[in-house]
Amino acid sequence: MAALRANNWRGYVFVAPATLYLALFAFFPMVFAGYMSLHRWHLLKEDHPFVGLANFTTMLTDPFFRNAIYNTLIYVVFSVPLGVVTSLAVAALVAQRLRGVGVFRTLYYIPAVGSKVAISMVWIWILLPEVGLINASLKWLGGEGTRNFLAEPGWAMAALVAMSLGIGLGPRMIIFLAGIQSVPQTYYEAAALDGCTAWKRFRHVTLPLLAPTTLFVVITTTIASFQLFTEVYMMTRGGPRRTTDVVLYHIYKEAWQKFEVGMASAMSYVLFAMILIVALLQFRIMRRGLGEGAAA
Amino acid sequence: MRGLATLFGRVVSRFGEPYAGRDVEHRCAARAVSAERPRATTPKRVKAVRMRAVRLILGSVVVLSLVGGCADDEQAVTTVLRVANWGGAQVESEFVKLERRLREEFEALHPGVRVQVEQIPGDGQYAPKLLMMHVTGSVPDVISLDASSAAVFINNNVLRDLTPFVERDTKFDLGDYFENVANIARRGERLYAIPLDFTPMVMYYNKKLFDAAGVPYPRAGWTCADFLETAKGLTVRSDDSRKALAQYGVNFENVMPFWVPWLWTGGGDVLDPSGKKASGYLDGPETTRAMRFLVDLMTKHRVAPHLKESAAAGVDLFRDERAAMQLKGHWMMIDYQADGIDFGVVGLPTNTGRRVTVIYETGLSITSKSDYPELAWQYIKFMTSKDVQVRRVASGLAISANKEAAAQYAGDPIEDAFIEEVAYARPPWGATVERYPFIEELGREMMEDILYSDGELPVEEALRQTAKLIDAALAEP
Repeated sequence: MAALRANNWRGYVFVAPATLYLALFAFFPMVFAGYMSLHRWHLLKEDHPFVGLANFTTMLTDPFFRNAIYNTLIYVVFSVPLGVVTSLAVAALVAQRLRGVGVFRTLYYIPAVGSKVAISMVWIWILLPEVGLINASLKWLGGEGTRNFLAEPGWAMAALVAMSLGIGLGPRMIIFLAGIQSVPQTYYEAAALDGCTAWKRFRHVTLPLLAPTTLFVVITTTIASFQLFTEVYMMTRGGPRRTTDVVLYHIYKEAWQKFEVGMASAMSYVLFAMILIVALLQFRIMRRGLGEGAAA
Repeated sequence: MRGLATLFGRVVSRFGEPYAGRDVEHRCAARAVSAERPRATTPKRVKAVRMRAVRLILGSVVVLSLVGGCADDEQAVTTVLRVANWGGAQVESEFVKLERRLREEFEALHPGVRVQVEQIPGDGQYAPKLLMMHVTGSVPDVISLDASSAAVFINNNVLRDLTPFVERDTKFDLGDYFENVANIARRGERLYAIPLDFTPMVMYYNKKLFDAAGVPYPRAGWTCADFLETAKGLTVRSDDSRKALAQYGVNFENVMPFWVPWLWTGGGDVLDPSGKKASGYLDGPETTRAMRFLVDLMTKHRVAPHLKESAAAGVDLFRDERAAMQLKGHWMMIDYQADGIDFGVVGLPTNTGRRVTVIYETGLSITSKSDYPELAWQYIKFMTSKDVQVRRVASGLAISANKEAAAQYAGDPIEDAFIEEVAYARPPWGATVERYPFIEELGREMMEDILYSDGELPVEEALRQTAKLIDAALAEP
């Protein structure tokens, strides 16, 4: 034992920087946010009285926070399934052995490389009335081309969902592609011999074997969707009429417009709990629903 | 630590300002190198990339040391005065050049001192960032104080009381400044900023469009009814009823700081005089009438663009000469002149017989945690002095708060019209109410609610709801 321990100190030295970094910049802030969430904590006031769970009870009766939760759920409910299905479809397409398929894989991945701020700026232009890409195209096709997507309730959220499909496509596609390529060819050959059509091969061979991959993609996409912020900050600022005021943006406003960092910390914990619960639910449901594939 | 910061600051400043762009370039170069490394497959390629990285680093070191060497010829910098201002990296305009020259002149007057300007970019980021710097003890010595968000700084001991400096300094006379402008940062005996420059909001009108419509130019002291008639006379409907109007009488932007004076000219207000509640004021009869008048301009009389229409236009309709009037501050003059618009300005119409408008102002303050308050005071005195002010406001950005400097432009009918409004101007609520930026957000949302509801949400109901929300926001301790 002693010898083992003596050998180990080098290991501790090696993990020390990462551990220290995480402790200082991840774990400590998390714990401290928990402490702040139990206080009435204004950034600039000297005293921070302990208020117990008052922040949580206040927030849950606050119509604006509830609106933010509602908006976030709407966004998640649309962007996650659509995002997973589109990226799976694209992955299945670019998994084909075709000439120039590498070009397509690159093209689909490109949006993921850009900064979200820059992409948001491009989308603002795409969505502009009259002169934006979409409206100009509609006009060219004989439509009116005057819809101001980001200024109309409903359309603004739809635009954010549409945008998320493009931005998240690349990374999801790569993961699905890796999953598809790890399916042994022999299974497809056997299925083909049994008379399976391409769709049936996809449905009964690819899909079940992809289950662990799908679970991973669904959970990471869900987490990312709950954390929507940059696009809202850049493009809508929560508007029009608060229809895109999502939880993270709401937290930001609480902390940096009202300077109520205690309340903002409490809200962050609620967001954390929401993500945790949804992820666990997905984990359980998909494990059961997709059978042995997910267990693998 | 300060020594190191000074050294770093000096090195960076020698790159010339703005250095932000260069900084990004450098970082991009570094990233390009590191990004290529994983892709390199052959050892030869790896070596080539490494060599390039080494060369880049060596090159930078050489450049930096050369630069450092040059700086040694000058007087050693012993003190760095940090000055915060809003805005990002600036393009090299005449104004930017002038500001740099002014800093250099100040440095020449104070050997060993270097003024380091810290630009804080981002819409709505200025106050949060400075307040965070205050909390962490890294706030600059001098900050530009925007009247619209002054309360949060003044009420939380972020700023130093300047009264002792004013009293001690025989060469400084507060009487040189417009009194109601200087009073924006006053709390009883205490004074937290010396005003730099300001603008009242005024009604710009396009003379060409007025002439074409045969409508007489508006004159100070006009009423809201006069205004409506004028706007109607300038509205040109297009043949196709589905399409937007060919020309609007007045432009409208849903930015509460721009439309709040409309509530005042109708005798209403957002908050009670103490700034503690909105109920009874925002939903009071005068405010309701004023708000309905404003909304009717868009929905009933159709002399101003609905939010949908102005958004669909995608441009500033006044600058596009498709709206004949616009409520704006002095800062827009530069653009209007550049656009070649032949404009005049006049005060807001009023229904109460009492003229009123809002004043937006920038002052200079010393932070409570500054290590060099005396030097900071010298800087403020220099920047707000008559001679510097005359040169500074020549850009057309704003009106000098220094009366003598402002008087240099007397005789110009437009400048005179602005100066005339100063007597009627009120500070924005943000100067006294900490949460006001948040209330302005609620006001913007309320306007959206009313206009997008297409009449479903009556004005009085919207005002009542918003007043309750504001009360709740203000009631939190």
